[in-house]
Amino acid sequence: MEATAIHALLQSRFGDAVSDYVDGFEKGSLVAAGRVAEIAAFLRDDPALGFESLMCLTGLDWDGYDASGKGKSVDILGYDELGRPQASDRVGDGDLGVAYALYSHRHGHKHTLFVRVTRAAPEVASTAAVWPTAAWHEREAWDLVGIRFTGHPDLKRILLDEGWEGHPLRKDYVMPGAWQGVPLDGRDYAACKWDESGVTLPDDVKRPEGPQQPEGTQQPESGNQG
Amino acid sequence: MTQDRNDYVESVTPPAGYDPRREQCLDFHLAEDLAAMADSDDKNFILTTVDNLFDWARLSSVWPVTFGLACCAIEMMAASATRYDIDRFGAGAFRATPRQADLMIVSGTVTAKMATRLKRIYEQMPEPKWVVAMGSCAIGGGPYFKYGYHVVKGVDFIVPVDVYIPGCPPRPEVLLDGLMRLQDKIRGRRDDAKPPKWIADYARKIPYVKR
Amino acid sequence: MSETAIGRGWGGQDVRRELHSELLEINMGPQHPATHGVLRLLVRTDGEIVHGVTAHIGYLHRCAEKIAEGCDWRQWMVYTDRFDYLAPINMNFGYAVAVERMLGVRVPERAEHIRVICAELQRIASHLIAIGTFGLDMGAWTPLLYCFREREEILNILERLTGGRMLYNYFDIGGLRFDAYDGFERDVLAFVNIMEQKIPEYDTLLSYNKIFIERTADVGVIDLATCLAYGCTGPVLRGAGVPFDCRKDDPYSIYDRFEFDIPYGEGEQGTVGDCWDRYMVRMREMYESCRIIRQAVDALPGGPVKAEDLKKLVKVPQGSLYTRTESSKGEIGYHVFADGGSKPFRTKVRSPSFSNLHVIEKVGPGMMLSDLVATVGSLDIVLGEIDR
Repeated sequence: MEATAIHALLQSRFGDAVSDYVDGFEKGSLVAAGRVAEIAAFLRDDPALGFESLMCLTGLDWDGYDASGKGKSVDILGYDELGRPQASDRVGDGDLGVAYALYSHRHGHKHTLFVRVTRAAPEVASTAAVWPTAAWHEREAWDLVGIRFTGHPDLKRILLDEGWEGHPLRKDYVMPGAWQGVPLDGRDYAACKWDESGVTLPDDVKRPEGPQQPEGTQQPESGNQG
Repeated sequence: MTQDRNDYVESVTPPAGYDPRREQCLDFHLAEDLAAMADSDDKNFILTTVDNLFDWARLSSVWPVTFGLACCAIEMMAASATRYDIDRFGAGAFRATPRQADLMIVSGTVTAKMATRLKRIYEQMPEPKWVVAMGSCAIGGGPYFKYGYHVVKGVDFIVPVDVYIPGCPPRPEVLLDGLMRLQDKIRGRRDDAKPPKWIADYARKIPYVKR
Repeated sequence: MSETAIGRGWGGQDVRRELHSELLEINMGPQHPATHGVLRLLVRTDGEIVHGVTAHIGYLHRCAEKIAEGCDWRQWMVYTDRFDYLAPINMNFGYAVAVERMLGVRVPERAEHIRVICAELQRIASHLIAIGTFGLDMGAWTPLLYCFREREEILNILERLTGGRMLYNYFDIGGLRFDAYDGFERDVLAFVNIMEQKIPEYDTLLSYNKIFIERTADVGVIDLATCLAYGCTGPVLRGAGVPFDCRKDDPYSIYDRFEFDIPYGEGEQGTVGDCWDRYMVRMREMYESCRIIRQAVDALPGGPVKAEDLKKLVKVPQGSLYTRTESSKGEIGYHVFADGGSKPFRTKVRSPSFSNLHVIEKVGPGMMLSDLVATVGSLDIVLGEIDR
């Protein structure tokens, strides 16, 4: 089936929930966030469509996207060359989005669903009941982008640890310096000095406490019967 | 220019008195003692110190704990396979439990989530224990330095490291070379774990080409 | 859980006692010899039977998708290597095809052929490790060493070709970074000749071994409906009895010119979709890869290996595209969002092992602990691509 026909079928069935036809490198439909689950169920169960596989669920942050196509989207923040997190005053305000890449093994056709939600209310209906594989993909979208999937059986972080703060794939994410005692910033490599006697670290870099060298490898002291 | 060529030739000629066999022999003291024993009339005694004996035993049976994290783990597996055979160094018995292991080869990227577990495994290893940082991720964060919010920029933020093996991933032969440096370090010959001064001086003279 | 114990008391009377037991929660990993990387499986068991499995991932999350937003299109190729570090060429391939489709650039014929040869060699290398570690999980040391022997030959060829032993960064947007060396075809053909004789040797080692069959046949059955629902692809899906392969369903590069079959599981030793079927699919795929390599080497033309009309700083036009290619573990998909600039706006990597691993939570309950290890081994997961 052609993508335009799929879109027309969806529109005839769901009306307003299916809005624009996306015609780019991949063809798809822009759908309303709250009704994705019903649309997904229809896509899976209708015999002419037969999308039994959700191939990929992508969560993304459209913040700072340059819609003119010139590639001037906002830059992300990282660590600078001395390993310190970069900071910025910019507050992100764009939309968040989800893209569902669907494929039908039976018919061999593809379709992509796009969803856009605002940053203030990033709620999308969960399709985990329709395609069980979406359970993990949606957890990852929640983890990295911060999109909340209503109706998900167990929405918690999957790649990052439970207590992580922030959603890293957002464009305004500031890199953490440390997390629960684990240092995540780089050391001041440029300030290290290396010569024949070894490496001298700058004063503010602490080496972790470690065990001393085992007794046998130290030079025997006067008291030992070597 | 002839003068430059002479400088070059002089700089790669090792200084007088340099014996390559001395550099490579790990059991030097033992060989000396064996030679002394062979000359003596009492051929039934090896004269050594208990420290040397224990060091020899330790370095000949450094058992690593299976701590492969990422891509470098596959090169570690290749080093334990038949072509590069780490077992001929005595280090082929990879122990699944840290309680029976001497060496932790941190092969791969250390992430924030894994760091606490790494520290726990390190603390469970009994003394004496050593850590080898294999690969650029374990040395200094590797290619994930700039935007890696979840990557610890080097395992020596978590545990003290004895030997650093660079590469991404390092070849199995480089891992074996790092293991031999660790063996030198265990032997107590810490000065010999560094390259000789004439090699370091020559390396400094190589011009750094800017592209 | 509670059960009743029935017995006889001291006076000869019947005695019934309620026994209460709890499920034991065992932690497998993240440091574990059998979990193929830093995977943590929280297993709830009553001693031997597994009642529930929860997979905890993220111990190798290396922020590659964030890095994609910070570096150029060509520069990110380096990070694709580190996803599936057992088959990095396939990861490179998928990303290169994804970007080239959006750019609309034609890759020269010589580059396409060399790409296919490298991808199939890499597929063989990856399957060798899969088979070797699968045997290792069952306790068989020897097949692993035999598999590594052949893998070293492949790595020799690829090292002479690309300069890297395990992580290559050889594919470039629009072709390859540099041409193949003289004698590449001779080396590849020599290797394929050896490989086709060695595959029966692996069969004698492992495939029809009675112990191996007892441990893998009828174990970990993942039927077709579960596979499709959980998005499993690759040998997991083909082991369930269907010949679904991206190289045939959705051909990319020049795969439509080559003749090869898609092996699928038929339940030879047990049920369709058991561990033995998935293992045999991988063995037979190695044969098919040898066939493709021979055809590709026969047809290898001369010519350039880089697309001429591509600038050094690649700028992909605005839009998004999901591209699927077949890696040794399954379908690797790159959902690329571009804004017309020199950096990707968002690249999401759909890794096959991510979906393949999810199925263990469905299939795990009901099997024994050692069968769980066998099933996880037969899924052939790589944590680098699960966590990215």
